[in-house]
Amino acid sequence: MERSEPGVTVRDTIDEGTPGAADRGDAERARAGDARAYERLYRRHAARIHGLARRMIGFDVADEVTQDVFVRAWEKLGTFRGEAAFGTWLYRLAINLMLSRRSWLGLQRRRMDEREGTLEALPARPASSDLSMDFERAIALLPPGAREIFVLHDVEGFKHQEIARELRVTTGTTKAQLHRARAMLRRHLEA
Amino acid sequence: MNDLLHPAPERLSEYLDGELGDRERAQVATHLQGCGDCAGAVDQLRAVKERAASLPARGPETDLWPAIEGRLKPRGATAGGRATILSPARGWRDWRVSLGLPQLAAAALALVLLGAGGLWVALERTRPSTPAATTTDRTAPDFIGPTALPADFGFVRYDGAIAALRQTLENHRDELDPTTVRIVDRNLLVIDHAIAEARRALAADPANPYLNHHLADQMQRKVNLLRQVTALIHA
Amino acid sequence: MILSALAAVILTTSGLSDRHYGRGAHTDTTTDVKPGTRLQIENFGGEVVVEGWSKDAVHVYAEHSARNLVEVGREGGTIRVVTSGRRGPPLTAELKVQVPRWMDVRVSGVYTDISVQGVEGEVRAETVRGDVSLLGGKSYVSLKSVEGGVTAKGTRGRIEASSVNESVKLEDVRGEISAETVNGDVALAGIVSDAVEVSTVNGNICFGGEIHDGGHYAFSTHGGDITLGIPGEPNASISVSTFNGEFESGFQAKLFEHQGRRYRLTLGKGGADITVESFEGTIHLNPGEEKCE
Repeated sequence: MERSEPGVTVRDTIDEGTPGAADRGDAERARAGDARAYERLYRRHAARIHGLARRMIGFDVADEVTQDVFVRAWEKLGTFRGEAAFGTWLYRLAINLMLSRRSWLGLQRRRMDEREGTLEALPARPASSDLSMDFERAIALLPPGAREIFVLHDVEGFKHQEIARELRVTTGTTKAQLHRARAMLRRHLEA
Repeated sequence: MNDLLHPAPERLSEYLDGELGDRERAQVATHLQGCGDCAGAVDQLRAVKERAASLPARGPETDLWPAIEGRLKPRGATAGGRATILSPARGWRDWRVSLGLPQLAAAALALVLLGAGGLWVALERTRPSTPAATTTDRTAPDFIGPTALPADFGFVRYDGAIAALRQTLENHRDELDPTTVRIVDRNLLVIDHAIAEARRALAADPANPYLNHHLADQMQRKVNLLRQVTALIHA
Repeated sequence: MILSALAAVILTTSGLSDRHYGRGAHTDTTTDVKPGTRLQIENFGGEVVVEGWSKDAVHVYAEHSARNLVEVGREGGTIRVVTSGRRGPPLTAELKVQVPRWMDVRVSGVYTDISVQGVEGEVRAETVRGDVSLLGGKSYVSLKSVEGGVTAKGTRGRIEASSVNESVKLEDVRGEISAETVNGDVALAGIVSDAVEVSTVNGNICFGGEIHDGGHYAFSTHGGDITLGIPGEPNASISVSTFNGEFESGFQAKLFEHQGRRYRLTLGKGGADITVESFEGTIHLNPGEEKCE
């Protein structure tokens, strides 16, 4: 597994399915200023980054955060040396950006969004047949600390040690918050 | 752990994730065989975990590329540390001015003058010297004011200060929170729109003291906002 | 021993010595102060509530993450309350600070809502992404936000209020007033002042208040409407300018229209000077109270 400074360790399986050679070529061209090549990279990776933003930060700012990630990545293209897959590099950059911005973005919300009870406001049964979107909305309503840890662990597959290191908490905290998130989401699924 | 005692709820998640030591894992496993409640809880936690792991990648509902493209700075070398000159026709966001050191120094001096309030600002407003006449009267005494001035008289100093401040903002844009930058950009756009309308109006009526004053006001507002933002950068 | 400007002086109350650092979930400390001492609060994100009380002491109560530090110290004649992160930027902290009413208070933050009430000294409150509100105030007041709204009520003294993206609302204020915003409205109601300056670019302006002989009142917007409500029988010389807007007056006064949609009217003896400008909005001038609701 690779590690960047600063950053999180990313699992090799992150790049499963990514056309690596095409990414490398487009990254090379984008580094030289080719915006069309960068657009192709955007089209290939936007879904994953946006999904991460939705779950880590929330639906309301996911578009904005996704934009920020791709703008930051463009600025930092000079640091992409092709040793890792572009998707891995981009993903790591996205995680770092979201972690560093989470407290700032979280302050935009009214306090009531951070109460556990807000998750209770979801309909007892999913309102639509799109169960995964309803589950994502439920994730978005988790308290911020529990949400981050749940997304990083259960959705994105990081280990407690990695998460604890990045969030500067103990693994005891990450395990407790993970369970808290699961317990809250459990009630949503069982309805 | 006594098999009759339920494990702490967090332990069930740790059990599910394989985070327990051998001994404790065995104890929990034994307990689950005899406790329907705890076994049911573990099943539910597993369902949450599996649902999370199977969430599909789903992109944004709208295409974000145009907004992203609009924020991308040109990549590639610039000559001598100057900003790249781009066509104003591409929009206000890309409007930049290439400034060499003497020009920056002049802009900085203009900034000092503006900041000290020592720069002449368009027209002085004076009260009419005669009181009201008898009726609504289009031949009533004129407003007493300075004679007509060229539309851009005095504004070139604003342009220099604005350019210098904007360059500072561009150079340090990523040091500010992106949402703050977007709010500032939006408000600069609001002011630029007002400036453009005032300029057009003034071009058609250059002797209009209100329009001269109004244009100067809007440019001063732009300077003030840019100064406020650069103060955030340096804070 | 050489003391730097930032060196702490031993605090003599509550059993505290040297600076007090709150490392747990909350900080609670009280410091006696003498008249003339100032207060400076810096909270990166969260909330700051300042309340005046009758004691000559500063009480700081803060709730915050264990990763934050809340430092309360004295530097010369200033009590400083500063939040910081042990690593990286600080997380949010909720501060409630009780201060002597006579105290001058300065509060600053970035992602911070600021609320001050019952303070009669100078108040300076500045934030980037948060609201600023003041209740009371008796001296010089400066309230600033970039992205949040600014409100003040019951202030007696000179007030400067500004936002960039949101509105400014002042109610029951007596004293010199400067209020501005770029993208928001400005509403001034119940005003008693002889110097008012209001400007916005994109927003509307509403003013309801007394006009005094010799006073100067200036209202300017580019794209918004302006509504002035003047009670009683004012003496004022009013000049109205617009480029693309309209002007409506409810006063029975002689109105002069000058070329280029500039108007002049005189109320009574014309003792006050009122300037009203909107580039493309409608200007309403009405007798009577205007509540700006």
